[in-house]
Amino acid sequence: MTPTTEQSNAYRPDALVVGGGIAGMQSALDLADQGLKVMLVERGPSIGGHMIALAKVFPTLDCASCITAPKMSASSHHDNIKILVNTEVQGIQTLNGVHHVKLLKKATYVNFDKCIGCRLCEYACDAEYPDPLEEGLGAKRAIGVAFTNAIPQKAVLDPELCATCGTCARVCPTDAIEFDQQAETVIVQTDAVVVASGFALNSLNVKPQYNAARSKNIISALTMERLLAPHGPYGRVLRPSDGKIPSSVAFVQCAGSRDASIGVSYCSRVCCMYAIKQAMLLSGALPIADITIYYMDIRAFGKGYEQFYQNAKAMGVNFVRGKVARIDPVDDGDLSLHVETTEDPENFLQEHRHDLVVLAQGMLPDWDMSGTTPVQRSSDGFVATPMLTSPTLTTAQGIFVAGVAAGPKDIVDTIAEAGAAAMQVSQYLYQKRSANVSESQTAVLVG
Amino acid sequence: MAHAIDVALMDKIKKHGPGGTLDVSACFNCGNCTAVCPLAEDSSGFPRRVIRMAQVGMEKELLADEDIWRCYACGECTKTCPREADPMQFMAAARSYAISRYDATGLSGLMYRSVTVNILVFLLLSAFFVLLLLSHKGGLEMGSNGALFSGVGSTRLFQFIPGEWVHGIGVALFIVIGASLAFGVFSMIYKVMSRKSPSGERPAFPLSALIPSIVTAVTDALNHRRFRNCDATGQPSGEPLHLRAWFVHASIMWGFIAMLIATTVDYLFKPIGSPVPPWYSMRLLGLVGGLVCLYGLTIAISRRISGKETPYDKSSFSDWFFLLLLTGTVLTGLITEIVVYLPHPTLFGYVTFLTHIVLAMDILILMPLTKFAHVVYRTLALALHEWALAPAPEKAMAAASNA
Repeated sequence: MTPTTEQSNAYRPDALVVGGGIAGMQSALDLADQGLKVMLVERGPSIGGHMIALAKVFPTLDCASCITAPKMSASSHHDNIKILVNTEVQGIQTLNGVHHVKLLKKATYVNFDKCIGCRLCEYACDAEYPDPLEEGLGAKRAIGVAFTNAIPQKAVLDPELCATCGTCARVCPTDAIEFDQQAETVIVQTDAVVVASGFALNSLNVKPQYNAARSKNIISALTMERLLAPHGPYGRVLRPSDGKIPSSVAFVQCAGSRDASIGVSYCSRVCCMYAIKQAMLLSGALPIADITIYYMDIRAFGKGYEQFYQNAKAMGVNFVRGKVARIDPVDDGDLSLHVETTEDPENFLQEHRHDLVVLAQGMLPDWDMSGTTPVQRSSDGFVATPMLTSPTLTTAQGIFVAGVAAGPKDIVDTIAEAGAAAMQVSQYLYQKRSANVSESQTAVLVG
Repeated sequence: MAHAIDVALMDKIKKHGPGGTLDVSACFNCGNCTAVCPLAEDSSGFPRRVIRMAQVGMEKELLADEDIWRCYACGECTKTCPREADPMQFMAAARSYAISRYDATGLSGLMYRSVTVNILVFLLLSAFFVLLLLSHKGGLEMGSNGALFSGVGSTRLFQFIPGEWVHGIGVALFIVIGASLAFGVFSMIYKVMSRKSPSGERPAFPLSALIPSIVTAVTDALNHRRFRNCDATGQPSGEPLHLRAWFVHASIMWGFIAMLIATTVDYLFKPIGSPVPPWYSMRLLGLVGGLVCLYGLTIAISRRISGKETPYDKSSFSDWFFLLLLTGTVLTGLITEIVVYLPHPTLFGYVTFLTHIVLAMDILILMPLTKFAHVVYRTLALALHEWALAPAPEKAMAAASNA
């Protein structure tokens, strides 16, 4: 049982933002800069979202963490922003225009008021596990700060991985470890909510014909981001099965979206561009490697994207038009791709051998809020945005949406939409409050 | 090179699909179907290329393409198609469309597209055969004379319907069918052999390779070599042998062939209607063939009834008509086999026999117009395919001299 605290008289933000990724941070910052009090709720141990884990971003090849980290620290240092990490939104109830947001504060077994982020507990811990942030390639300890530039710099203990040896409690200089900490449910009242819950990716195994379960060398695009990141698990690009430097890398596009046979018929929108970006980065990291992108059609729709695609072609990245139908593991950990190249009139059916394959997984909504909140989903599972002219409005009054929670989009569009959502919120709050003021004034006059 | 474009081609082919559910227009030519197909073995690019032909209205090229007959409907393309465009059903519809276009009468097209026409033709034809056969007034021998064996009276089938009549009608049917089929066959051969590649080249079709091509095609058809390749779909969970599509097909086909041999030999070497014991070689062959065929038909039908999975979830009426007509014929034939050994003749026996003869005649006359036609067209297409692959004699000689 988790005790529920009604915090009606406690901290009451003007707006609550669900999700601490780039969309949530941008919305929170844009609201806070207007003098509104914002609560930023993040499920994981750090804000930053998927973006902080990326190597570089398209089409400018800017360093992702160099763009994300300032937003993270701006959010955390902002007087008007209160950040709750390790906290899940369990439901929203709207009563008389006020949203009662039910939050589950998960037990971290570390007192955040005492923790100074010195990481002595992490260095002392013996329980090592594959790091989810490194897509399982690096190691993580049962207690520790999520990653080097995580915000907040607070250690979190994972009870699933902890061997309860007590070493961390012994080395902690501030006695911050609390093994008896309990999860807590709190209800926060607010006038507006921004849903920026982002995305999850569908499984590498969603297409059994790709045999991802049978080879470590069929990796996700996020794994490739980590391999390419300067602070990644190996510090260089090696393939996971045997540490070989790959000489032939394949990108299989539409491996989890635009495919009705797996139930995801929409386009994930970012895969073409990040595949091109990764291909370019690989050309730098592995100058003699062959890099091939298997695609159905390249969707280079944004500003500067087409030129980016043409640059990749000019750099010698191979583009093969055809959906890969099957991937078979062959000897030496290599992979054989079966594809019909629809552009070659003499030789349609081809088989290509690569030593590393990156699957472009589909973007799925990360949070199903349809049963627990007044927000409705559209048929694809993302938050429904019924007004074409106001794409950040949901079906519920006072609840707004930003970023991939409303549908797949890239970072540029996400940031633009997060700003638009913040604008909608401040407009909504202004109208609501001026209406309330005039109502009370009317009441005074009539009374 | 100029192409005659039929803008309505896709709509016409769709009418041959099961219940109008075929949505192959959704295809965006990604090539998944070709790459996943266990039978796409060369650079031909089927099924995608055939779908593309239909999409852009290249009817002449579609009818000249024997590739549609190289598909055995394992359903792997349909299961993995990103657009749920159902390439497998498209290939089946394209085959049916091709038959209807090779056929000069236009009747097969009507029968394929309309369930009503199909049933109407079947009923009219059956009624005609019943009246024709009964007009002989053979009479039903219900007495106990004319012992078949063990001195007990028996059914005298061929007094009821004279063998000469059955034979006579049969020969007449063969002539009608032969003419109709010959036209369709000629049409297919002409279209395939006058085909040109995009670069304007024609296959050599060397005369020396004609016989070997036919032999290969017939052998492949008999031993299901190509069909068996459908097993190699790359899926770890294979079906048990006795349920695999090619095994079921082989049961139906070999059972049918056995019955055909039994009937023919019976007619050629045994006086019509003379009583024989069940272990008489040809009767035994017919019996075993009938049972084997019935096994295949039972599996094929039951999987279509209960089947929610590709390739058994959507069957066209022509599929059902084929299976049910064949099952009816085999069942009545087997019951007749039992009836003749009953001690007393029964009205039921005579009616069953009449039904059997009528259904068998229906099969024969409808052969060029229905799914039965695939026996001829598929084998022919495979022979033409082999032949088209054969190198021109001078090239072959050059290759030999180089070696």
